[in-house]
Parts: sequence; C-alpha cells; structure tokens
Amino acid sequence: MAVKGTGIISGNGDEQRALVVVFLRGGADGLTMVPPVGNGEYYKVRPTLAVPEGDILKLGDANCGLNPALSGIHEIYKNGGLTVVPAVGSNDDTRSHFYAQDLMEHGCPVAGGWLGRFLRFRDGAPPTALSAIALGKAMPEVLRGAPAATVMESMDTFSLGSKFGPTAKLQTELGALYGKDESILGPAARDTLQALDRLEKLRSEDLPPMNGAEYGDDSFSNGLRQAARLIRARVGLEAVSLDLDGWDSHFAQEPLIMPLMTRLSDGLAAFHRDLGELMQKVTVVVMTEFGRRVAENSSFGTDHGRGGAMLVMGGAERGNVFGELPELETGILVGPGDVPVETDYRDILKPILTQHGAGDSMAEIFPT
Amino acid sequence: MKQRESDEVSRRHFMRAAAGFTLFSTSSCERVEDWLGLGGKEGPVVPPTGEGIDLISHVLNRTTFGPTPSEYARVKGLADTEESAIAAFLDEQLEPDELEDNRAQRAVRRFEAIHAPLGEMYEYKEAFLLEQLTRATLVRATRSKRQLFEVMAHFWSDHFNIDVSKKECRWLKAADDREVIRKNALGNFSDLVRASALSPAMLWYLDGRENRKRNSSETPNENYARELLELHTLGVDGGYAQKDVMEVARCLSGWTVRDKGRFHKGRVEFFSDAHDDGSKTVLGHEIASGGGEKDLDDVLEIVCEHASTARYLAKKLCIRFIADEPSNESIEATAKAFSSSRGDILTTLRAVFATDEFLTGARGQKLKRPFEFIVSALRGTRAKVSSEMDLVDYLIRMGHAPFQYPTPDGYPDVASPWTGTLLWRWHFAIALSRNEVSEEIEVDQDELIEKAGGEEGLSASLLGRIPSKEELAGIERTGEPLALLLASPGFQWR
Repeated sequence: MAVKGTGIISGNGDEQRALVVVFLRGGADGLTMVPPVGNGEYYKVRPTLAVPEGDILKLGDANCGLNPALSGIHEIYKNGGLTVVPAVGSNDDTRSHFYAQDLMEHGCPVAGGWLGRFLRFRDGAPPTALSAIALGKAMPEVLRGAPAATVMESMDTFSLGSKFGPTAKLQTELGALYGKDESILGPAARDTLQALDRLEKLRSEDLPPMNGAEYGDDSFSNGLRQAARLIRARVGLEAVSLDLDGWDSHFAQEPLIMPLMTRLSDGLAAFHRDLGELMQKVTVVVMTEFGRRVAENSSFGTDHGRGGAMLVMGGAERGNVFGELPELETGILVGPGDVPVETDYRDILKPILTQHGAGDSMAEIFPT
Repeated sequence: MKQRESDEVSRRHFMRAAAGFTLFSTSSCERVEDWLGLGGKEGPVVPPTGEGIDLISHVLNRTTFGPTPSEYARVKGLADTEESAIAAFLDEQLEPDELEDNRAQRAVRRFEAIHAPLGEMYEYKEAFLLEQLTRATLVRATRSKRQLFEVMAHFWSDHFNIDVSKKECRWLKAADDREVIRKNALGNFSDLVRASALSPAMLWYLDGRENRKRNSSETPNENYARELLELHTLGVDGGYAQKDVMEVARCLSGWTVRDKGRFHKGRVEFFSDAHDDGSKTVLGHEIASGGGEKDLDDVLEIVCEHASTARYLAKKLCIRFIADEPSNESIEATAKAFSSSRGDILTTLRAVFATDEFLTGARGQKLKRPFEFIVSALRGTRAKVSSEMDLVDYLIRMGHAPFQYPTPDGYPDVASPWTGTLLWRWHFAIALSRNEVSEEIEVDQDELIEKAGGEEGLSASLLGRIPSKEELAGIERTGEPLALLLASPGFQWR
C-alpha cells in the first residue's frame, strides 16, 4: 500500500513555500534607509544625516528612494523582486523597544507570535521538526507558540548523531520499526528519516552557493546562507527567523548604521542570487519595531519614532513602492515629530501569509 | 525595571539556609539525594508478560505520566486480580492527600519563587519565575506519587490556558497555578471556574481587567466572557448566542486587578462604578438589576450547571483518558456523573474510569504529547535529574513547553498536531540513553536491564507488553536497547 507522506517531501514538498523574517532590532531609521525624494524639509531637519539628493537610488517616480548602501537590493527592485514600504509600523506608541518589538512579533496584544500561530493554524499537514528555524541563539517572540521550532546556529543541530557518536544503526532500525507502523506516525517517521538523509548529504557535501552568489562572513549572511541551503534541500522548511541587531542610533548614527545597511543589502542580494528561480516560492520580509524621529538630535543621532520602513523580497511578482512617504511637516508628523504610521505592518503580512497557505486562519493568526 | 535582583539573591540565600536547617534537623536516613528528590527505595521490578498491553499497564499509561520500573509490580500486588488491583490503585490516586509524597514535595520546595505570596512575585525576574514554575511542573510530574492529581493539574492548565508571555501573566501565572489549578484540580468544577474567573493572571490574560462600564458610552470587554462560554464551560456548540456573551460581559464588568502600587499589584478588586448594574438575561435566566459583585456568582452558577457544560467537560475528559474520538456512550455516562454530582471532579473521573471503553477499549492509542513522552521516559528509566533546563529546551523544540501555548484553548490533546515531533523524540531518546542530555541527567542502562531481568524485561517494562520479534531483533542489531525502545513507535503511545 502506498502511504502518502505528511508534508516534508512527499506531501507538498515540491510546492513548499518558505517565509524568511528578518528583524532589524533597535529601530532602524526609515528616513535613512528609504529617504524622501525632492523634500526640502528633510534637509532642514537633518542637516548632517540627510542622504544627499543625488545619492538616493530612485524607485520609479515614488516620493522616496533607497539609501545608496542598499544598492544590492536596488538591483532586485529594478528586476521586479522587491517591494519597499515607507511609513509602516504598528499601533504601539510607547516608543519602547521592548513593547514595540513584542507587539510587532506578537501581531496584536496577545501572547505568542504571529509566525508561530501561522504554523499552528495554517492549512495542510502539521508542521515538522524542520518547519521552523530561528537562526541565532534564542527563540524569538515571533515564533513563540509554533508547534515545532528549532533554534540553531548551524546545520549540525539537525542530526541525531553529531554529538553522541554514530546513530546510523539506530536510524536503520527505526526505519524498520516505523516502516511497518500503520498509525499516523508511520508516514511522519518516514518523512523525518528522509529529511535526515538529505541533511546528512547536505552536511557532507557542503555545496557552494549557486549562481555565483557570494555571501559575506558576518553572522547575518551566514544565517541566510544556511537558510538557502535548507530551502534548496527541500526538507520542509516553512519559516525562518533571523535578526540583524544594532540599529538604535541615538548617537553618531551614520557610522553605526551604514555598515549595517550594507550587510543587510549584500546578504539579501546574495540570498536572492543563490536561490534564483526558487525565489518564486520564497518571501523575505524585513521589519523593525519603529522608525526614528524626523529631526536629528544634537549628537548626530536620532531618537525613537513611529513609522519606519519595511522591505519585501521575492514571492509573487513585486517591484513597487507600497503607499507613499507622507510630508514631513508639523500637523502631519505625530507625537514629538515622528513619521506617522500610514500602513499597518499586518496589512503587508496578511497577503503574504495567504500566499504561504494561511487559508482561513487569518483570524487566528491576527486575532482582533 | 521592577525587579530588584539583590533582594531576589538575598531571599534565595535565606531560603537555602532555611532549607539546609530542615535537612540537618531531620533524621539521618534522609540524605541530600533524597532531599533533592533523586533517591528513594525502589521495589522489585517484575515486568508485564502479556503480548498485548495488559489492564494494569493500560491504566498506568492513561492515569499517570507513565509507570516507573517497579510500579507495575507494586500495583499488581495490591490485589488478587487485575481488576481489583486497578480499582485499588485508582482509589489510592483519587485520594491524593492520603498518599505520602514527601520526596516530591521536598524536591519542589527548592523552587522558592513559586511559593511566594502574590505581591512578592513581582520582585522576581519573569524569566526566573517561569523557569522555576516549569521546573517544578516537570519535577512534580516525574516524582510525585500523586500521579493522577498531576495529570489533572496538567489537564486543567490546558483547559484554563494562560500563556505567560502575555503582559503581567509573566508574574501572575505562578500564583494561578498554585491557587486556581492545583488547589482545585480534584475538587469541584464550580470552585475551579470561580477561582479562575477571579485569578489575577486570568484577568490579565483574557482582558477581564479591562471590562468596565463607567458610563453609557463605554462597552464591556467581551474577551473573557466569550472564552468562559466557549472554552471553559459550555463549549463552542453549547447553545449560547452572541447576546449571551454580551450579557455575561456586562455581569462581570467592574472586576479588575491592580497594576500599580508596590504592595497592591496583582490584587483583585471590584469597582461598583465600573459595573453595569442593569438587569441582564443570561442563557434564559434573568439576573435582576442591582446585583453588583453578586452578578459574578449568578453567572457562574448558570454556566457551570448548564447541561452543555457537563457534556463539554465530559468529552474533554474522555478525550484525555479514553480516545481521541470517544464514544457517545462514554461521554454521556461521564456527563451524567458530572451533572448529578454538580461538578464533583472525583465523581466524574470515577465515571470515566468505569466506562467499558476505558477498561476494554483499544490500548496504546493515545499519542503521548511531548511533555508526556519526556516525563514517561524519565520515569521509565528512573533518570536522576538534578536540573531540568535541558528538558525545557526539548519541550520548546517540540512546541510543548508548559504555560506557553499561544491561544486560550490550550495545547491540543489529540494525536495529529503532534506528529511533527518525532525527530526530537528520537534525539531525546538517544541522548537520554547515552547520558548526553546534560551532565545533570543520568540513567543507568545496565542497572535497568539487570533489575528488569534482561533486555526483554526492560522492553516489557517500558512498553507494557513483551517486545515483538522485530523489536528484539532491532535491539540486538543496534546494541542500544534503551535508545531504540524509547524512540520506537511503541513508546510514543499511552
């Protein structure tokens, strides 16, 4: 009797989509990443930090562009693979990193993360051990509540044997015992064993990135490289979370965040090139807890604000700017002079999650 | 931040010193190991001999977190027949206060934060509180002799689910576990619901604290009212309407929990000026105006005594103890006991255990959820555990860390959502048997085999039946009986 698999490989493995969530922790300055175009006010309130008009990478005729440090992903934009969202954020107005990150990862003032709930309530076969991965040292809030999620720094985590000596004999015998299992566990076990084989192969081969992609040796790029390998190996990966920290630029912002933007852009560009055609089934979302104050402060930095920027790469055809950057004038700015939140970040996420198979579960993923 | 680490540290030192004093003042036969809950005398190990899972193993699988190696023989020795033996065992479990449980209680005492008065819980770091609560939960499930009580505490923690990551639940859940769940786990359902309704953690978790009507423009917050009906009492198909949800919310308006003040944080209070004091109709029952805080008692009486509640609770208990899809007959017998005893949990459980389906239905057909898998492996191997944190890592990977389920319905209690956890089950089985989970967790495979009278005995003791030819052949070929058995299909079910 042919037994249908539960999802890792034999199920919808070939149709498997993966969502990569990149969180820029610390509150990335939207007006530096996605600066306004042709806006005199910007140069008045940011005398030292504004991106010179001539340097801004244009996004069609949108009223905002990309920082030159993001040139790698600007190429992707030009080929229709990137959406830029200015003035986006959550309704948290505490301007506290902790609260704003919590809310953005939880999705609403409930417990548990939206990505975790997506995995738990989406359509299709239940997630597997390899469905969700947090690249790093700790489980991020966004994945909290997932039915299965693994924190890993390297692919060796996914092995029965790396730490304890060989397990080949045990794997063979488990294959035999579960091979005869007619319960719901039988197909799940066979999928798991196949995934372990694929991972073993992946580890032993250590294939270079494809399509001439070159990753940097920073931990962010390395994380993306691991994610690309796992996606390519079709082991059932559906959700990846990784962070790029260090955006809290109260003091001397430019030397702090320029290298971060370069790292972000180069990492994403390498990932995009590496996966090639597979990017049709992969979406990368770049988000941050809030943008920063419009006016720079006295120490060449910026303070916590509201609306920030979000980037969406891959998935369906994209290549546009969602919404527009509001005018930076009194009466439009909110609170102590911050970009208003014109787009709720969940309105960006919802169609993406739908595309990734959320089915009818949106009310559970983002309860009101 | 609110916590003061220095206080926490000094309290811990004080508690350690106090605990040390207790240690020296008790009789000399209690060694440090005993105090940590690691030691204890073990009776003889006489494994089951049936080809299928026998009645005693079945009852132990279903009503406990899995048998320890000697438990099977002990229970068998309680009476002459299997039927009388399990009756005696269940009697014992249904009166947990009569069961001496010093060792587990001592082991839990070292988690001093969870014993702190409500107001003082805020003085701990939230991660530390969660760690203590989680470890205590693992220790109790593994070590306590009051196994059915622990299983029911686990059941109610799902039924009245609170995720610690929501706001002040971070501090307050430990008190909810103590004052709501454990206090009433085998008591009366109405008391349990009432305690939960007025639990500071629940008031935070389901926004009851925001439910107020101070003027005509304010509308009550319905969140708790809805879950009270949908999840805690009548069930989603229990026959209530949106109007009932709104009326229940009106009845419960005005109850809140203090979120300020050093000594008052976490205190539950009723403000009559925030209460909607008009008349209400809940599920066809009139509640006259002017009831004030008494409205809560009226509402809880109406919902707890509703026929749908009996049936909903009966079904959930049958799913826990009998099958993922229990028969109507079992549900009805259980519901009847629930109704006629007015929600007495012991009476209801006796009815579950008296159903034909429980006694003679399919055995080994309830998938152990990850928590149950891990605890049953620790019990079955008599693992010595001096730190539980690495166990928590496994639970997180398998999506079953206590008190961390994201939505109010609690962790699912049926098999299908859990099939993706095999990789980590195998990982754990191998790590545990090779003593590689951590330096704080130790099993002695050779001793287990010796006490069980060989590898076949060890298999029977873990599986509740003698091993199949295939299982024995696998053990032979791998030379790793414990790893293979714990990872095998047979050990995943209860």
